[in-house]
Amino acid sequence: MKTRIKEYRARYDLTQEDLAKKINVRRETIVFLEKGKYNPSLKLAYDVAKALKTTVDELFLFDEE
Amino acid sequence: MKDKITTILGVGIAVCVIFTLIIYLGAKESIEEFDLFSILIVLILVITSIYLVWDRVKNLKAGLPAQDERLKLAGYKAGYYGFIAAIWSSIISNLGYNILFDQELRGGLVTAAVVLVSGMVFMISFIYFSRKGN
Repeated sequence: MKTRIKEYRARYDLTQEDLAKKINVRRETIVFLEKGKYNPSLKLAYDVAKALKTTVDELFLFDEE
Repeated sequence: MKDKITTILGVGIAVCVIFTLIIYLGAKESIEEFDLFSILIVLILVITSIYLVWDRVKNLKAGLPAQDERLKLAGYKAGYYGFIAAIWSSIISNLGYNILFDQELRGGLVTAAVVLVSGMVFMISFIYFSRKGN
């Protein structure tokens, strides 16, 4: 799974810590999300998308096999 | 508030364990090999606990939560492996001792082995899963 979190974060000039505070998670979780190393719950995915003013579909890209 | 209470409890427990260890070592006339092994495991558990508490405090000070869904998931996975380790260590400790020394292991020692081994497995698994992701 790939994500565009870093791209959107840069768009709004947010650090990983800023985004983590907005959605009430640890900074390491944002790091793992950006690297695609953690599959978030639906709620977390929604919270991240809402914080970055976009949709879950736009933010999380699944590889189609 | 809940995170702060949990962190304070963690620190309190670590301090109590260290204090108990010091009293135990002070009361012992001689330290056997098994004691050294147990002390080493206890120290490892205490050090990793202190690391985890320090990590939580660092996040709390930064205004971030001490624990989020990712860390909870890591905890559940580590708990599962700790549980499996507890079961296997209870069987292997008694059986292994019986095979090697042709004697039954005392109940207290089996309990100690289970607690220490499952604790170690939990700690190592938790740190691994929290760093690796899923």
